[in-house]
Amino acid sequence: MRDISFGQYYPVKSFIHSLDARIKILVTFLFMLSVFFIVSYTMFFFMYLAVTVVIAVSHVPFKIVLKTIKGILFLLLFTAIINIFFTSSGNVLVPIHIGRIDMSITDQGINFAIKMAMRFTLLVIGSSILTFTTTPTELTDALEVLLKPLNYIKIPVHDLAIIMSIALRFIPGLVEETDKIMMAQKARGADIDSTNIFKKIKAMLPVLIPLFVSAFRRADELADALDARCYNASSKRTKMKVFKCKASDIIAFVAVVLFIVVIFLDKYLVGSLITPPDLGGLEVQGLDIFLYNLFTLAV
Amino acid sequence: MSIVIKNLSFTYSRNTPYEKKALDNINLEINEGDFLGIIGHTGSGKSTFIQHINGLIKPQEGEIEIFDIKLTPAKRPRVDLKALRSQVGMVFQYPEYQLFADTVEKDVAFGPKNLGLPADEIKERVKQAIEMVGLDYEAVKDRAPFELSGGQKRRVAIAGIIAMRPKMLILDEPTAGLDPYGKEQILNLIVHLKKHCSPTIVVISHDIDEITRFATRIVVFNDSKIVYDEPMRELFKHSHMLNQMGLDIPRAVKIANALRYKGIDVSDDIVTAEDLLKEVVRLYNKKHNTEKKADGVSFDLYDFSQKWAAAEDEKPTPENAPAPDADNITPTDKQSE
Amino acid sequence: MSAIEVKRVTFSYNANQPDRVDVIKDLSLSIEEGTFVALVGHNGSGKSTLAKLLNGLLLPTKGEVRIFGNSTMDASKIYEVRKNVGMVFQNPDNQMIASIVEDDIAFGPENLGVEREEIIRRVDWALTKVGMLAHKKGTPFKMSGGQKQRLAIAGVLAIMPRVLVLDESTAMLDPQGRSEVLKVAHELNKDEGITVIHITHYMEEALGADRLIVMNDGEIAFDDTPSNVFTHDEELKKIKLAVPWDTQFAIALKKAGIDVGLPVKEEDLIDSLCQLL
Repeated sequence: MRDISFGQYYPVKSFIHSLDARIKILVTFLFMLSVFFIVSYTMFFFMYLAVTVVIAVSHVPFKIVLKTIKGILFLLLFTAIINIFFTSSGNVLVPIHIGRIDMSITDQGINFAIKMAMRFTLLVIGSSILTFTTTPTELTDALEVLLKPLNYIKIPVHDLAIIMSIALRFIPGLVEETDKIMMAQKARGADIDSTNIFKKIKAMLPVLIPLFVSAFRRADELADALDARCYNASSKRTKMKVFKCKASDIIAFVAVVLFIVVIFLDKYLVGSLITPPDLGGLEVQGLDIFLYNLFTLAV
Repeated sequence: MSIVIKNLSFTYSRNTPYEKKALDNINLEINEGDFLGIIGHTGSGKSTFIQHINGLIKPQEGEIEIFDIKLTPAKRPRVDLKALRSQVGMVFQYPEYQLFADTVEKDVAFGPKNLGLPADEIKERVKQAIEMVGLDYEAVKDRAPFELSGGQKRRVAIAGIIAMRPKMLILDEPTAGLDPYGKEQILNLIVHLKKHCSPTIVVISHDIDEITRFATRIVVFNDSKIVYDEPMRELFKHSHMLNQMGLDIPRAVKIANALRYKGIDVSDDIVTAEDLLKEVVRLYNKKHNTEKKADGVSFDLYDFSQKWAAAEDEKPTPENAPAPDADNITPTDKQSE
Repeated sequence: MSAIEVKRVTFSYNANQPDRVDVIKDLSLSIEEGTFVALVGHNGSGKSTLAKLLNGLLLPTKGEVRIFGNSTMDASKIYEVRKNVGMVFQNPDNQMIASIVEDDIAFGPENLGVEREEIIRRVDWALTKVGMLAHKKGTPFKMSGGQKQRLAIAGVLAIMPRVLVLDESTAMLDPQGRSEVLKVAHELNKDEGITVIHITHYMEEALGADRLIVMNDGEIAFDDTPSNVFTHDEELKKIKLAVPWDTQFAIALKKAGIDVGLPVKEEDLIDSLCQLL
């Protein structure tokens, strides 16, 4: 009777949870694209502020969201280090030469590394907000609708959606089954918990074989059930659920689009109107300059 | 005392939104020679409980002592789980789903092999276990488990456990999914195992008429707790409460209760069909002044007279692609009772 | 016209090979619309094979099966047949396609290209009929076996079948789940006039049926009203079947010299005992 939480879905009620999955996928997609257009630290600040607000509204604990970043910490550090040592443009802060390779640390390298890490983190948080607040079923349904145009180039979107939906439906059952078989073999003294890798691999065989047998048996029964319910009976398949935009969906969508517009203004407009001042190592762009000028004016 | 369980509690997915309490302060002693039945709804905690006895789940709170092996929430000392599992044999629900080897003999040998026994002892144990469950060793040992009929597969799976020679056997819904005839065979097998193989047996079942056939003591789980732990014949004094929990009571008890309700003076010591039969005959004799006798009248649902129950051969289902020698499997009547 | 017409059907595995196995042997059967039929037999008696022959999941080796006049062999009519014969299987876990209840119920009518408004109406109707309307937006993961199986029934009801075949649909359920499913099947038969073929190995579940067909070894052993079949307790024993507990009790009592007739239900047994004692 183990409880199975499949995917990352976090079952609480919130505004974000109640949004239409299609809107959420679209918005997440736009958000991820726009992240690559952020140039100024100020805009990053606003972006993190916005994401923080969204997480707060979603009722998913911050601790749990932060855990997903822990998973990519290594990747973050790795790209940061690469960026720091292998960006050679900009003012050299610490000259490092190993043989003929120039690994000097430059101000641009540091700026680049910091911004890249911030982008990565935003991407991960953005996609996990989607999966924390949307059930796998909602996701597949939404994808089926969003990918519908692919039907015109003869990709059987509906069949793919059924396959996805069945997979989602059966994975928890198979996980449970694996659990049961594992317990049964452990009860017969199998070395499944052994730390010795060879012993462990050998011990998995008595789990995998029954699991495959069971998967095929299920597939067989399911095929009968699909047939009995007239799968493929009509070429004109209908759909019970239709796309209906709620006011909240539109509000969320507009809010995100406005935010993205600001990002683009920041990159292409603010930056080109004002000449950047020289601040030594710190790279200032877009809104940063605007704020800097405001600051110096005030002083 | 074989097993002592003290203040055992367990919660699934602790500290998550999926959190669910499965066991709540369980205290129980299982004695050597007990024929213990456990009843309760799905999700009442009984499956979680027996998984603890086999060391498959580590206790979160409380402790379990099994044949001098102690299980506690502490990390150290590390428990020799293999030793524990060789003493407590566990037959899961639908045990035939764990068969994996290409021959019956190899599958049954899996447990003893994991115990690290010498080859000749393994062979002897496998032979004895297969015969114990009523199959013909020579006829089935080289066959693939998947070719056997449902009931036969289940018996092979049980043989795989008893080949480890446990001092105690736990069976979780041993008759689930079988047809009534197959059920009857497995029930007879369990009684047989109690006599000849494992002195202590614990059976989980949701069929109360099944459990009263053999259990001497019954534990009732409800809502993660043990609500009753009584000798089998005493339990049904709580018929009313059991009904309120949505648990069935034996047919004979139901009918006895109904008769009593209608003002007939029925004894309150009735649990099985035989009890009721005797009581009806007694009351009839009393009222009509006759001397009818219930002795010798059995309540057999099936005709097992010709062969020992578990040894009856079954036709494999056609899907199982019967081997040409399918019909050569003959019952061994060594264990005839 | 009968709802179901099985004419001299033989079904064999490995039909043209030496190790040929006949699972159904020259079987004929006709079922009128609106009847509740219980089909009982031990494992391997051929009852499930017969069920799968009824909606063309299996095709006869010899003979013919007609559903409201349409032969299951006629490929162009196969969906007509399947639309009329809704089938529910044994394992409640292996029949649901979607993870949300209403989506799953809608699957059948969606396949048939039914209008959206009609699908919504059917989903509500089917869930009401099985008493699961409250779970419309729920997921099946935490449900009991009985609930899941009632959903499976709703799933086939949504295609509006005139015949409902329950292929050992109670075998994996606990007693409570079994009675839930059986109750739903009887209601559908009474209120909606749906022909029900309930395949089971529990004789007790045949009690409320109009007709009890007992199968053994690919042939029909008995075909009569349940109470008439139950008089043959000795023959039933030989084909690995048992009469209901209460009937069995009366038979045992008779052997002790006390005659209470042949009650089939618990109430009947209690009544006769009351009169006697």
